[in-house]
Amino acid sequence: MSGQKSRHASHVSRRMLLKAGAATLGATAFPAPLLAQAKPFDGVTLHGASFQHRFFTLLQNYIPEFEQQTGMKVDLELSAFPVYNQQANLELSSGGSAYDFVNVTFILAARWVAAGLLSNLDEFTNDPNLTPAEWNPKDFVDGAQVPYRDAKGATYGYSWEGGAMLMGLSRMDLMEKKGLKIPSTFAELQQVVSEINGTDGVNGIVSFQLHHWCLPPYIQGFGGNIFRNPPSDIMPTLNTPETIQGVEYYAGLLKSAPRGVLTYTEDQARQSLLTGRSNIFIHSSAWVTPIVLSEESKVKDTSRVVRMPAGPVHDHPASNSQGLGIPKNAKNKKAAWEFIKWALSPEISMRIVREHGHSSICRRSIITSEAYRKLNTVNGHDLGALYLEVLELPAKGDNYMAYRTVKEFPIVGDVLNKAFEQVATGQFAAHDALNAAQDQAVANLRRAGSKL
Amino acid sequence: MKVEGIEAERRGFRRWALAPSLLVLFAVAVLPALYLVVTSLTPFQLTDPGSATDFSAPLRNYGLLPGDPRFVNSLLVQAKLSFWGVLFQVLLGTLLALLLHTQSRIVEFARTFFLVPMVLPPIVVAVIWKLIYTPDISPLTYAASLLNLAMPSLTSSVQFALVSIIIADTWEWLPFTFLMVLAALQTIPDEYSEAALVDGASRLQIFWYVTLPFIAPILVISGMFRLIDSVKAFPLIFLLTGGGPGTVTEVTNYYAYLLAFDTNEIGYSSAVTVVMLLLVAAISLGLVWMGRRREAMA
Repeated sequence: MSGQKSRHASHVSRRMLLKAGAATLGATAFPAPLLAQAKPFDGVTLHGASFQHRFFTLLQNYIPEFEQQTGMKVDLELSAFPVYNQQANLELSSGGSAYDFVNVTFILAARWVAAGLLSNLDEFTNDPNLTPAEWNPKDFVDGAQVPYRDAKGATYGYSWEGGAMLMGLSRMDLMEKKGLKIPSTFAELQQVVSEINGTDGVNGIVSFQLHHWCLPPYIQGFGGNIFRNPPSDIMPTLNTPETIQGVEYYAGLLKSAPRGVLTYTEDQARQSLLTGRSNIFIHSSAWVTPIVLSEESKVKDTSRVVRMPAGPVHDHPASNSQGLGIPKNAKNKKAAWEFIKWALSPEISMRIVREHGHSSICRRSIITSEAYRKLNTVNGHDLGALYLEVLELPAKGDNYMAYRTVKEFPIVGDVLNKAFEQVATGQFAAHDALNAAQDQAVANLRRAGSKL
Repeated sequence: MKVEGIEAERRGFRRWALAPSLLVLFAVAVLPALYLVVTSLTPFQLTDPGSATDFSAPLRNYGLLPGDPRFVNSLLVQAKLSFWGVLFQVLLGTLLALLLHTQSRIVEFARTFFLVPMVLPPIVVAVIWKLIYTPDISPLTYAASLLNLAMPSLTSSVQFALVSIIIADTWEWLPFTFLMVLAALQTIPDEYSEAALVDGASRLQIFWYVTLPFIAPILVISGMFRLIDSVKAFPLIFLLTGGGPGTVTEVTNYYAYLLAFDTNEIGYSSAVTVVMLLLVAAISLGLVWMGRRREAMA
């Protein structure tokens, strides 16, 4: 029995020796398979979620390369904007760990950051083992990064998409005929809109139903705001003389808009501009620049894209951004950071710009690069410079877009939306509608537990 | 009195036989409703997870409802929408059923054709009416322009927004009352009308004294069903008006939706929904009571 055991042991030992020898030979002759096995995230499945956006559609083309490099599998769940926001809000608020990375939606950013629902990304960027110096977090446009920082300056997201409010004009030919210049002030805008409206069947201006996005630049232009001093003082200021003036002004502009503009979607408004049925559309660059860049545009030759006019008090064109972040309870934080780092790397950003003409990225080095400029300069007008200029503005001086990122904004924004429609349809005078809106906004905020 | 023997066993068997169905019903219908009621007693907000279990002021949400002008307005809008919608659906459905209550191949085809709106998914109905109401592409606007008439944008007009929802809702659900009334008409024996004709009654008199009494219970029942169902006009409002302009078309369930998914006030939204549930339950009980009363009177 013992002899059998020892024979067996010696037999195994010989076999092991042979195996080891073969393995050494194999490794020397064919090192690649071994290296492949050494992929850092082999076997990891990364779960991420965002709303549907062209950026992710383009990114999905490159994800197999990333999976090849890292060994991980990326499961990216894309839903419609409101659906995603509801799902992500619920998931993060309930402390779930279903997602390893998420889109940090602009309007939810402040509340997610304040509620501690996201991981501090400085822990990753400050570690040279996790983030090489050339990734350079400071390369992201500062104005686009403001929403993803807490009061102490820690970063909880990096922006993949920027939106800068610009003005598209589709019928410069009509304006020239009438001797009208591109408006640079609210007064000039009112004049151009009124004079063009009805000429050649063209509407003076077009807009869409998200009034609490389109309206605040006018309110701020007259010196008003949505809150007294966001994010620290969130008392609504819907019935100040400046806010009333802004609402009356914007409602006046929409009198020269197509019928039914109050229920227009962004697509309808864009189409109205691209077909030359409306002369002016003031919205994020991604919606306005197709007038000169897209094959769909029927008015390329008579179009211009410029800064939106400035108000008598402030020049505050709206801007926003969308970021990628890691939920606090994510299971695969390092892998998630690896993905974010890759997706927002200068290389991938440049490829997306070069290969697909997608311009609303937030890396300064890319926006100011020669390749980007070439792609985004039309008739001598550098659209990239315009985009960068507006995207930068909130980070200069007071962050005038802060009103939009506080957790109280959805409640007050909804009230403002309703009040604006009441004014625009003549149900109430601006003064009455906004006094009622102020009372309601305060009551709603108190109901929701806000301390005013 | 104690039940023994075979009767007791029969009762026990019935209980066991019913248990699986009752369990499923409990899980599907009662549990979510209970959760809704429990949530309505909290100030639950998505941004404050701890608030989901805060029962310190359980009736606070309900106390706030009467003072919320949008909630009160939403009930009024719902009442207007339900009243006019149901009225038109019952009247037009009856009229259509009377017209198509005859034997002919064409009429049979027409009957089937008229049922199409009811079987379409609600969101498809909303898209169809979105196309009809959007001034840029609307055939209505185009027809009006040919007649040199300026037509307002129906869905963003204060005067017409609710009307436009009522029209679309009537189009979608008119086939229901049509089908119910047609079925009732087919059960009326011909002898009654023939006897009335022999006695010299006019068509109108026959309808009034013979047909209407026969179909009246069906009209009431279908009207009540539609009344309960009219609370579900959500897709039309969501897609056509967004509750606007202002709050002109904001019905209670749309308001509850905005509270839950736009402003994240799940607790308050649940209270709104519970009140709505109670109103619908009251109407349903009224329906049952009316049915029993009628049976008792018969």
